This record gives sequence, C-alpha cells and structure tokens, in this order.
Amino acid sequence: MATHPISLTINGKGQQSSVESRRLLVHYLRDELGLTGTHIGCETSQCGACTIMLNGSAVKSCTLFAVQADGAEIMTIEGLAKDGEMHPIQEGFWEEHGLQCGFCTPGMIMSTYDLLQKNPNPDEHEIRHALHGNLCRCTGYQHIVKSIQYAANKMQGATVAD
Amino acid sequence: MVVSDQRVIGRPMPRADAPAKLNGQERFAGDLALAGLLHARPVLSTHAHARLVGVQSEAARAVPGVVTILTAADLPFAQGGPPRAAESLAREEIVYAGQPVALVLAESEGAAAEAAALVEVQYEDLPVVLDLVAAMDPGSPLARSLTKMGEDAAEAAMHGVGGGGAAEEAPQEKLSANVSGQTHLEMGDVATGFAAADVVAEGTYDTAWVHQGYIETQTCVAAPDGMGGVTIHASTQGLFRTRQVVAQTLGLAQEQVRVVAMPVGGGFGGKFGLIEPLTAAAALVARRPVRLGFTRGEDLLAANPTPAGRLEVKIGARRDGKVTAIQARLIFDTGAYPNSPMAGAAFAVAGCYHFPNLDIKGFEVMTNRLGPGAYRAPGNPQASFAVESVMDDLAGRLELDPIAFRLLNVPSEGDPRPDGKAWPIIGLKDCLERLSVHPLWQRRAARGATNGGRFREGIGVGVGGWRGGLEPAAALCHVDPSGIVNVVVGAVDLSGTFTTFRMIAAETLGVDYELVRVVGSDSTNAPYSGGSGGSKIVYTVGQAVQRAATDAREQILELAGQILEAAPQDLEIAGDRVRVKGMPAESDYEVTIAKIASLTSGFGAKHAPIAGRGTGAQTANAPGFSAHLARVRVDLDTGEVTLLDYVASQDVGRALNPAAVEGQIIGAVVQGIGWGLYEQLVHDENGQVVTGSLMDYALPRAEVVPHVETVLVEVPSPDGPFGARGVGEPPVIPVAAAIANAIHDATGVRPGAIPITPERLWKQIAAG
Repeated sequence: MATHPISLTINGKGQQSSVESRRLLVHYLRDELGLTGTHIGCETSQCGACTIMLNGSAVKSCTLFAVQADGAEIMTIEGLAKDGEMHPIQEGFWEEHGLQCGFCTPGMIMSTYDLLQKNPNPDEHEIRHALHGNLCRCTGYQHIVKSIQYAANKMQGATVAD
Repeated sequence: MVVSDQRVIGRPMPRADAPAKLNGQERFAGDLALAGLLHARPVLSTHAHARLVGVQSEAARAVPGVVTILTAADLPFAQGGPPRAAESLAREEIVYAGQPVALVLAESEGAAAEAAALVEVQYEDLPVVLDLVAAMDPGSPLARSLTKMGEDAAEAAMHGVGGGGAAEEAPQEKLSANVSGQTHLEMGDVATGFAAADVVAEGTYDTAWVHQGYIETQTCVAAPDGMGGVTIHASTQGLFRTRQVVAQTLGLAQEQVRVVAMPVGGGFGGKFGLIEPLTAAAALVARRPVRLGFTRGEDLLAANPTPAGRLEVKIGARRDGKVTAIQARLIFDTGAYPNSPMAGAAFAVAGCYHFPNLDIKGFEVMTNRLGPGAYRAPGNPQASFAVESVMDDLAGRLELDPIAFRLLNVPSEGDPRPDGKAWPIIGLKDCLERLSVHPLWQRRAARGATNGGRFREGIGVGVGGWRGGLEPAAALCHVDPSGIVNVVVGAVDLSGTFTTFRMIAAETLGVDYELVRVVGSDSTNAPYSGGSGGSKIVYTVGQAVQRAATDAREQILELAGQILEAAPQDLEIAGDRVRVKGMPAESDYEVTIAKIASLTSGFGAKHAPIAGRGTGAQTANAPGFSAHLARVRVDLDTGEVTLLDYVASQDVGRALNPAAVEGQIIGAVVQGIGWGLYEQLVHDENGQVVTGSLMDYALPRAEVVPHVETVLVEVPSPDGPFGARGVGEPPVIPVAAAIANAIHDATGVRPGAIPITPERLWKQIAAG
C-alpha cells in the first residue's frame, strides 16, 4: 500500500506523518496520534461523533482521507481546553447536563464550536438545526440545547468584558 | 416536591465523571491499544437461511498483515453454552442474514477489512421463514431445520421481563415448532366480563424491529492472561453477566474470566455480552489481545435489537366507565434465538388498569432474522401502543374525557396485578391527575380552532408502567488514609448512577460530597451487583451503598468517640470532620476524618481501617409509572407528523438527582418518539436487512423533537434509598401511544402500526 507524506498542524502543534492512501483522517487521529477523543459511530457521516475542526470549519473526520488533510490546521476535542481551563462550551455541557454516556459529546462540542463561531447568539431553532448532523441517543438533545445557550451567554459576556 | 433537610439528596448535581468525557480523555473500549493488539473483522452471511457448505479463505489469508481466519471449528467452545453465543460463528446451519461466519484477525484494521471482503462462503439455501403469523402454522417451514437449541432464560430474567408467575400451559392450538415460547395470564372469566360490558373496542397493532441505537457500537478487547484465562475490556452493562456468558461458552471457570467494564457509549439493554465470547475465544486462539468493534452496518445486521410484534387487544367497559375485561393475543418475532419480550408485554398489556377479567396469550415465534436483545422496558412500548389505542377508542365511544376514563380504572395499592399478586403503593393516579390539570390538556377543547384545512392538530394521552427490576447487590465503603471516602461497586455507570451513589453516600455519612469517590471495579474485585438494566441500579445497588455508608459512619463515630472521649451517639459528622454535638467548633471537640483515617494506616498504627459493608436483596418491586401528553400537527397532504408539545409526568419515588432524572426522562421520550414515528429495521422478502446504515435507519435528530416538559411525581417507595424508584424504563413506554392518540385526535384516523411513517399515515388518511 502506497504511503504519502503529510504535514499538518493539530491542536497547535506541527505534525509530520506518512500515511497510507486509504487511511481515513479519523483513523489517523485515533490510531496513529492517539487522539481517541474523536469517536466513530457510523462510518457513513450520519452520527457526527467524529466531528473535528479543520481549517476553521466543523467536518466529519470519517469523510476525509488523511492525505486530504495535508497542510491543514486541525483542532480536536483534546485541543479545546486551554491551560487546564475548560472552554465555555465544555463548561456549559457540564453545568447543564448536556451529556449522559459521553460518546457523542466530543462531536457535539465541535459542532457547537463551529456554530458559535459563526452565530454567537443562536436561538433554539438555530441550535437544533446546527446539530442536525450529530446524533445523541441518551439526552433527547434538550439539555444539549441548554448547554449551548449557557456557552453562548458566557462567551458573549466574555466578549463584552473584553 | 418533598421538603427535607437533606443536604445533597434532591439537588441537581452535575455528572462527577464529566470532565474526562468533555475533554476527550475518557477511554472507551475501542480506545484501548494494548501491546500486540490484533484487529478483528467478521465475515457476515449474505443468506438468511442456508446450510453452510464451506468457507474459502485462501485469497484473504494472502493479504499482508492477516494473521489468521477463524471459523466455528477453530473456536475453543464448550458444549452447552448459551445458544446464541455458541453460534457466535455459524456452524452447520446459518439462521439469519448477517450471522458471522468467519472472523479475520490481522495486524491492522485495514488489512482485516480487506481480507474479510475476500472470504468466500458457500451456501446451500434453505426456505426462509419471515412471516410471523404464517410461521406459527404447523405446515410452515422451520426457521431452524437442521439443528435445535434451547432457551436462554437467564437473560430475559435479568431485565425483569420474566413471566412473573405467568402459567406456562400446554399449547391449546396446533402450532409449528417455530413457536419457541408461550405465556398465558388469566384472571376471572373474560366471557362474563365482556357480557357485562356496554361497549367493546378492539384492534390489531403491529410494531417494528427497533435497534437500541447506542452511538458506540458493540465493542470489546480481549486479552489472554497467560494462564488459560482471559481479561475482557468490554462496553457492557453487566460485568457479571458477561463473565458468565463468556465462561459458559468457553468452558472456563468464572474465575478465569475477568471482565473490566469500560465506560459504555450507550446500552439501553443491548449490551449484556454479545460479542465478548467470540472475541475472548479469538484472543485465546491467537494468544494475543484482540479487538472487535462492530461497524454500524454490522451492528444493524448482527447485534440484538428488539423484535417486531403483532398485538391483538380487546377491552370491554361499562357505561359508567369501568373496564370489565381484556383479552389479548400477542405474537412476537424472536428471530433466530428465543429471547423475545413476550412475557414482559403480556404483563404490561394489563399492567396499567384494574381489569377484573383478563385472558392474555403470548407467543414467541422463531424466524430467519437476527436474535433479539433487551431494549429499554422490553415489550412495554409495544403493549402501551396497543392498549392505549384501544382505551382511547373506548373513551371516545363512552364520550368520556380520556384521562378521566383512565383515572376510573387505574389500580392502586392492594389491587391485583395481572399475575394476581398485589400492587404495592404506586403513583399512576397521581401522574394522570397532574396531567388532567395541565394547561396543555385544559386547552384541549380549543385545539381544533385551526383545524379544517390541510393541517390538523390533536392532543393525546398515553400511560405506561414498569414493575421494576430486582437483583441482589453489595457495596463497600472505605476511608483511605487521606480521608477520602471510596465507594466500590460492581455496577456500571450508564447515565450518572455513580454520581447518585456519591450523593447517597455523602448524605448517609454526613460528609461533604467532594470527599466521596465512587469506583466501579472489575468482575474479579468488585462485590456483586446486577447489570445496569431494568431500572434497578439505584433501587438495589443504591440501597447497598446506603448500607455500606451507614456501616462506615458507625465505624468513624466509634473511633472518633475514642479520640474525643465521647459516646458515638453524642457525635455528628459535618463536612470533613466529626464533632461533639452542640459544642463549638474548636479542636478539643472535633477531629477531622483525615486525622481519624491516618490513625488506621501506617506501620504500627493501632486502629483498624474503616471499611463499611453494605449488602441487600430487594424482594419487593418498586413500580414506576408514567403518563404523557403529546400535541401534534398532521399534514393531511403528506401524512407528516410534527410534534409541537410534549409533557411527561412520572412517579420517580424520590428524585435523588433531579438533573439526572430529568435527563433520563427526556432522553427516553425521544427514544419513544423514534418508536412512534421513525425507527424500523426492515427486512426484505429474502430476509436481508435493507436499513443497514444510519442513512436508512432513522434515529430522531435534534430538529424533529420538541421541548419536553417533565412533571416529577414523588410517591416514595418503601424500600428504595430515600424512597427512590427506577427511572430509566417508564418514560419510554407511553410515547408511541400518546403520539398515536394525538394523531387520532387530530385526524380521526387510528394508526395500526408503528412507526407511524408519513407513507403509512397518508395511506390511511387517503383511504378515509
């Protein structure tokens, strides 16, 4: 199996690897880099458990080959907290009970990150629409919506304070 | 809400284990990379019923990285293991499309997948049995024609779905050998009951195969322990059950199997030891760790969803609104392995009302579909859909308010259950009363203001109940030398139960919540606990935790009494210390738990460590009932149903952690919405699953579910910790019924099958 050199930035750190052509980005992240916070739930890009940020947008890492990420800037769930401080989105999911089993959670958080970056003050409908690519089987979504509202408020407050 | 002076119990507490799950550090079973790990990929049968003629694997073995390819003959299985586990790889007879036939072990996922696709299986087709009713006919071909197998009763019992006193009777009609089980509940005389009725309503209701839909597929890592045994890191709801299944299948002593329960990425009844025997066997054969994680496609084809059923229900009532009799005939598909929710459904059909006469027959029928497993309140959503539809029809004919009609018939403490035993104190009446005064129900009269055009609105009610599961449980509570209180259990935390245990222990001990930890240990080291299913963990293990904490508290006070020179009964625990009651917070009158603990450790220390022990075997069920309201809008032109409002009331006994309880209820309601409107595993006429991905199998998404209002009713259970009842099961039960009744209210059309897809509903509407 042919391999290809790739160079990319992951959670702020440069990374050089040699990957098989068929290697999916999600497998590269999980199996080669040990970033197992990105989960796999379906392989057909329906569940969103593998969602990451790639060049500033949320993508499902099971839909890309690792070679396609050559030169990209990637953030995974492991890169969200800074200096041991939870990101407001993580805090929101904790405070508002936005998780039960926790398996969909990293993907949910990444999709939320994407949403709040584009729409800092979403209403409930906009939040639910933004989650249409992420499945959760435990929570019924309601507390996830509340978690995102919490995060939006907190992040807006922080912006105002700045 | 119960007014109490409890410090911790009753407050919404965030999940104790959230941080790891929020920052990507949690390790699920599929995240374990043991040294020397082999990757497994199953080869699934493409035929639903066939003689397995041969497996050609030469081309597959030539793929670089392939270590071996196993078939049934290679597995070190003992005789007489659990039927489904014994056929983890097909033997002589393939009994469903999707049944694993071979298992590839390779150095990488990629090599394993590549090789699996190259394995060729030779089949000799046998007649495929799929139609439930036809399969019961004595002349039907058999779903299993070359081989026989028995019933795995233990699994059904562990979910609390056993017949509960149901009399097994000799079959009264001539039936095919495809009928693998029957149940019969009888009380009074239904002929007399129907004769006394002024109105009789009846209907036939079909329900689909529904998958538990956990987002983490079935996953397990097994490693040989070097001494003939095996250690299994599993995504399992029950470590002891999984240990038992693996040991029986492999012919090992239970002590040779160590099951480590990893965090479970959703279970809902579907994770009780399905792929673990196969993975363990592969690890023993290969003498290396093996990881098997189903793809989503494999999980939809070869896991253990809950099966389809057909429920015929007939109920009679008098003009005054009292029901007189119920007669029901329930037929459940049980696929290739007997494990259907027939018995649970039989109880549930008559479980919410006081029927003086009842006659309920259940049949479980084998077909060439995958074997079923448990799914949250097994058999109950189906029973509720059928019974609540008929109850609604009766209310209509009697011109009674549907809630008022139900309130006339709900059982209360002392009334007989369907199996003749008496109901304990239950809160069903309270749940319905809360709904009857709810603004949504009060506004029901005005619901039709906009009706008349293309869109119709309606409001429906549904009721459901869960008997509650029972299983013995033990817990330990020890104080480590730093003063931290550790609670050790053998249960698995599915939805925050460990956080609730922590609250129970903190409340019982009197210490700060922050000082308590809860540890779930493995099957070798943990004290016994039942699997996390059947809404029984807080009720049973929670009781053991409470007792262990009480024991530890007594030991702490005893030792503190020696230190403070006071009688234990004159002491109190507050925060992180013990002090003499009524005395000022000064060092002479108090001692920290850390100080006490330090005296119980270290070379030459003179006091025994503090180690509390709690055990229990709950014998009385604490049933949990729920009653729901749904408001829908139906598009008559397309048959599409939109949920506008939803209210879920439930008797939770005592909401120990209201945040967790509400989360469970809302999550279950959304699963119920899946039951009602979206989810079905569909097999084609050859027995092939045609909904083999999440593109085809429709799980509810955030956009299609409404805001769910929860109404917590608290009728304390006599034996649960702080009055708690099981919470997980009840709220999934009435959802499909409430939606169906709302659709009937909106359109006059009575849905006869779930899920109520636009196509089905449109056809019914079009047919008038």
